[in-house]
Amino acid sequence: MNFGYLIVVSTSTEVDYTQLAYALALSIKNTQKPGYDKVALVIDDPHQISRFNSAWVFDHVIPWDKEIHWDGRSWMDQLSPFDETVCLDADMLFLRDYSHWVDYFVENSELYVANKAYTYRGEPVTSDEYRRTFTKNDLPDLYSMYTFFKKDSELAKEFFTLGRYILKNPKEFSNLFLSVSKPKVVGTDEAFALSAKLLDITDEIAYELEFPRLVHMKPMIQNWPWPADSVSDHVGFYLNKKGQLKIGNYQQSDIVHYVEKDKINTEMINILEEIAWKK
Amino acid sequence: MKKGALIFAHNNRDVDYALMSLISGGLAKKHLGIPVTLVTDETTLAWMKQSNIHQRSTEVFENIITVEKPVTENQRRLWDGVELNKVVPFANANRASAYDITPYDRTLLLDSDFLIFSNRLNEFWDSEEDVLIADSMNDIYGPSRVGYHDKYISDTGIHMFWATTVMFTKNEYSREFFNLVNFVRSNYQYYGDLFRFNTQQYRNDIAFSIAKHIMNGFETDRTTALPALLTTIDKDILHSVDSNGKLTFLVSPMFDSNMCAAAIKNTDVHVMNKQSLIRNADALLELI
Repeated sequence: MNFGYLIVVSTSTEVDYTQLAYALALSIKNTQKPGYDKVALVIDDPHQISRFNSAWVFDHVIPWDKEIHWDGRSWMDQLSPFDETVCLDADMLFLRDYSHWVDYFVENSELYVANKAYTYRGEPVTSDEYRRTFTKNDLPDLYSMYTFFKKDSELAKEFFTLGRYILKNPKEFSNLFLSVSKPKVVGTDEAFALSAKLLDITDEIAYELEFPRLVHMKPMIQNWPWPADSVSDHVGFYLNKKGQLKIGNYQQSDIVHYVEKDKINTEMINILEEIAWKK
Repeated sequence: MKKGALIFAHNNRDVDYALMSLISGGLAKKHLGIPVTLVTDETTLAWMKQSNIHQRSTEVFENIITVEKPVTENQRRLWDGVELNKVVPFANANRASAYDITPYDRTLLLDSDFLIFSNRLNEFWDSEEDVLIADSMNDIYGPSRVGYHDKYISDTGIHMFWATTVMFTKNEYSREFFNLVNFVRSNYQYYGDLFRFNTQQYRNDIAFSIAKHIMNGFETDRTTALPALLTTIDKDILHSVDSNGKLTFLVSPMFDSNMCAAAIKNTDVHVMNKQSLIRNADALLELI
């Protein structure tokens, strides 16, 4: 098996995505067992990683600057150096060993896109606050932040090719297929969902599973009794020296998509580095 | 393994918890086929004798254990339907002592306003779980009357389990659990700050929920719990109880004086309107 995680980032003046990817890669090294802990970073400016104390957490650094921001993820099938890949968003943290999920996907899937998310309290997200486009246009509820695929899969190739085409032609696809509720921006999630719908492969790539379990920290989907602008206005985010994360009163054991990019600061990085060094 | 139910009753000037316990205990004994022990205090026991329920109590309860009445500053607003209410003292702070007091190896700890009309809880005696608590409450009218703080202990806090029914095995894990409940009770303000709930009134539901959450590694596990409690709130009224065991309630959908009727039979029910439960005591005692 030649499996690994892929993170695609590009330079931004607002957010240090490379540092987020570094924190994620550290957390992967700290929690996944050998054979399931490889990380490839796709980045427009590879020199950025030289500032990190442990750049070795990136097993592959792939220079690539054809797209900016999240659109780059739609090229994951062409960028990955692995035979089997899970492509992740950079603003995520691994908190325990999830390699058994990978075993399942390698055994049973060519392509699988996460289609459920959970609150920090471990409850399924039911609100469509940020996903009206999906519900109103009857799109499958796909989350591209955890996408498994096999490099040699024709199904994956077809899916990503159409996804890229949608991202390149957002107005045309919005007018044709998302007319009930047009998104302000056709992002990777919308493009993947529409690609799955048009190819009629949702049942193959997003069928019901108990995993991957992804905690999504956007504020309006936390089942709180009032509207919220940010999660950290209301609950704390505590990473201890063992790399265990509590959000509010809840110990987190699933993959956390923390959304608020300033959560990864020097202190967090230091904790994750120290664990990696001692491992 | 000896199994049985345990009920606490500490009367105040307005609520005859002893009488409610007699009803609740009698129904548990009848429908679950288990012995029941009453935990009470000397003044409540004296009232039981004065009000002529003591003899019946000795028939229903396997043991009547007297303890010191817990000192309480706890007060609650007691509703009897939507119009009548008063503030009364509420002595509920010694529930964590159930572990030490119980004469049973596996105990069903019941609130005195929980009426058992089925054998459903018998499913849980052989569960491998050391401590089981009711998962939630189901309102007799439906989910529209279940408030956010019936489901969570605070706005951002943990899931609320309902300590109206608790089943536990007397072992090391349960001892730790009840010690923790007691610790939460003793440091209620601190835990209120930590878990961000309103500390104005001590609630066993909250202390038990926190203890369960902590013992479960600060995660919520709702897969191992006693069934949700069918509940009639204190703004509803237990109107009548017939000889076939049918309970008829006047239910207030919008918490106002517009009522509708609801009847249940052969179903366990949590009757939060204690006054109306007591008004129907004679009919309920006929059923045990």
